[in-house]
Amino acid sequence: MNAWLRLPRSWRAYTGIATRSMQNTLAYRLSYVVNFASSFVLLIAMYALWSAIYAGRDELAGMSWTQMKTYLIISFISNSLLSYYSESRISGKILDGSVSADLLKPLDFQKARLAETLGSTVIEGGLTAILTFIVVLSASGILKPDFIHSLLFILSVLASLMVKFGIVYMAGLLCFWSTGSLGIVWARMAVTSLFSGALVPLSFFPDWLEKLALVLPFQGIVHTPAAIYLEEVSAWGALGLLAVQCVWACVLWLCGKLMWSWAVRQITIHGG
Amino acid sequence: MSFIEIRQLTKQFRQAVKEPGLAGAVKHLFTQKYVDKTAVAGIDLDIEEGETVAYVGPNGAGKSTTIKMLTGILIPSAGTISVGGIDPYRNRMENARTIGAVFGQRTQLWWDIPISETFSLLKDIYEIPDAQYKRNLDQFIELLGMEDFLHLTARKLSLGQRMRADLAAALLHNPRTVYLDEPTIGLDIAVKQRIREFIRASNKEHGTTVMLTTHDLGDIEDLCNRLVIIDQGSLIYDGTLAAVKDRFARERVIHFQLQSADLPALREALDHMPKVTAEKLDRQHVSLRFDRFHITASEVASAVMRCGEVVDFRIDEPGIEHVIKQVYEGHITLDEQHADKETAAGTEASRR
Ligand SMILES: Nc1ncnc2c1ncn2[C@@H]1O[C@H](COP(=O)(O)OP(=O)(O)O)[C@@H](O)[C@H]1O
Ligand SMILES: [Mg+2]
Repeated sequence: MNAWLRLPRSWRAYTGIATRSMQNTLAYRLSYVVNFASSFVLLIAMYALWSAIYAGRDELAGMSWTQMKTYLIISFISNSLLSYYSESRISGKILDGSVSADLLKPLDFQKARLAETLGSTVIEGGLTAILTFIVVLSASGILKPDFIHSLLFILSVLASLMVKFGIVYMAGLLCFWSTGSLGIVWARMAVTSLFSGALVPLSFFPDWLEKLALVLPFQGIVHTPAAIYLEEVSAWGALGLLAVQCVWACVLWLCGKLMWSWAVRQITIHGG
Repeated sequence: MSFIEIRQLTKQFRQAVKEPGLAGAVKHLFTQKYVDKTAVAGIDLDIEEGETVAYVGPNGAGKSTTIKMLTGILIPSAGTISVGGIDPYRNRMENARTIGAVFGQRTQLWWDIPISETFSLLKDIYEIPDAQYKRNLDQFIELLGMEDFLHLTARKLSLGQRMRADLAAALLHNPRTVYLDEPTIGLDIAVKQRIREFIRASNKEHGTTVMLTTHDLGDIEDLCNRLVIIDQGSLIYDGTLAAVKDRFARERVIHFQLQSADLPALREALDHMPKVTAEKLDRQHVSLRFDRFHITASEVASAVMRCGEVVDFRIDEPGIEHVIKQVYEGHITLDEQHADKETAAGTEASRR
């Protein structure tokens, strides 16, 4: 049978899911505000911490205070793009067993979750990004890249979203394997924060750790967009970084697909 | 080839054995002990398109497990299923387009969006044409009485409202086959009636094949022309409701109204008849309970007539609820059956 040709019929289903997810996010305005506020508090804490570290110094690990401030904001934006809510929604489906309802629908689970995530990202992340940019553009002492780098930066933020989705999706599916989902979510967040450069720029790492971080996919989440924004690389170099991100996004997508087919086997053998 | 063909369908679950207490929990960490639980033990079943089949049995009989395998969300341990030529597990997505399913114990509605949005999302997912969507939605809202809760999220619905919404959601795309696992559980009679009406209408209008599990005999009587009973994973009956009644309703009560009676002689006669007990015994009224596989009504009647003058009589059959309950409580089994094959319509379940 030509199921191959018929199944990926239209995008309607997935755009439909994305739209509903956007509505949903809007319906939970309060949760968004709380989310935004708490990550904003974190941003301020980081700012205070780093300004203390930079006191009396011009440069640390090759970064000036101005670059550092900019870095913090980029890291903030890219972290807020895919909220904890999206993440807990994937693992939640697995834990409360509602995944069997998904199996009953003629939908690709991974694409449906991506549509859902992108839908809420458009609202949550978009709003955060716009708010932050307004602040950045009106504030002085924050760097602004040239046109080419700005464009590449936006592309790399989108790619970073795909990388992050790939990681979050797989971490969510791991809940099939372990019952302690919160543990997995926390571990995932810790590893991502560290290796993406969200906590500390990768250039502050000891040499071996930085090398390790650069061969892992996590760096595509914060490090790459930040490097492009800060014009640490030429336009061509930025394109190269973007390509690496895209390769990672694809690799993670395929791994997620494999993991899902493994997970489906588990559900359909052991019961949802 | 039948529309739904089930052959030697078997499902075994691996159940972890945990010993009680902390020591047991620790032990389980190191030595995982499992037992295989056979939930469905080699079922053969053929269902034609447009049939309405009640799938009943006591708790834990394997009903939900069978339904889940039919919908493709569980993989059989052995045996095969074909629904309209599709293997539901191998072609889960393709199968999903043509089926609707309601699991009474668990909703499939999106928790956080209004019911009306759920419906329009389903329109996108199943690519339901506008005209069909509008027609179905209007009809469903009317039939199921959903106007007053369409704007609420599933989270806020009462059980009865949720079940109606779930049912509408499952049938919006005009599925060829509908699986309903306890669709009326915990509902009041008015809602039950609405749901039955709705299922009946869908079956009649679109020729939808319906397979439903239930503990409510009203559902069976109102909806189903075929009854399949399973117990411990095996089919124990497959036939019409009328036939099960004929086969299993062995106890009858015959009531006589008498002008005069020789009671001692009657008592004497009763002692010589097997499995006949007197419910009531006085000069005007005699009620006798008998097992029609051991003695016929006419034998009982003629014995009474020999001892008195009968003015009138009537026979009570047990209600179907009583019969089915007895079947799956194990008070009646096929082994006890006398060969009264003339009453057994439908296919006989093969027993192993
Ligand atoms: N996911 C599962 N894991 C282990 N055992 C299960 C699972 N699902 C059902 N069972 C067992 O299989 C048997 C049949 O269950 P089920 O099909 O739900 O019965 P019914 O729906 O007829 O009440 C029960 O003994 C139940 O404990
Ligand atoms: Mg059940």
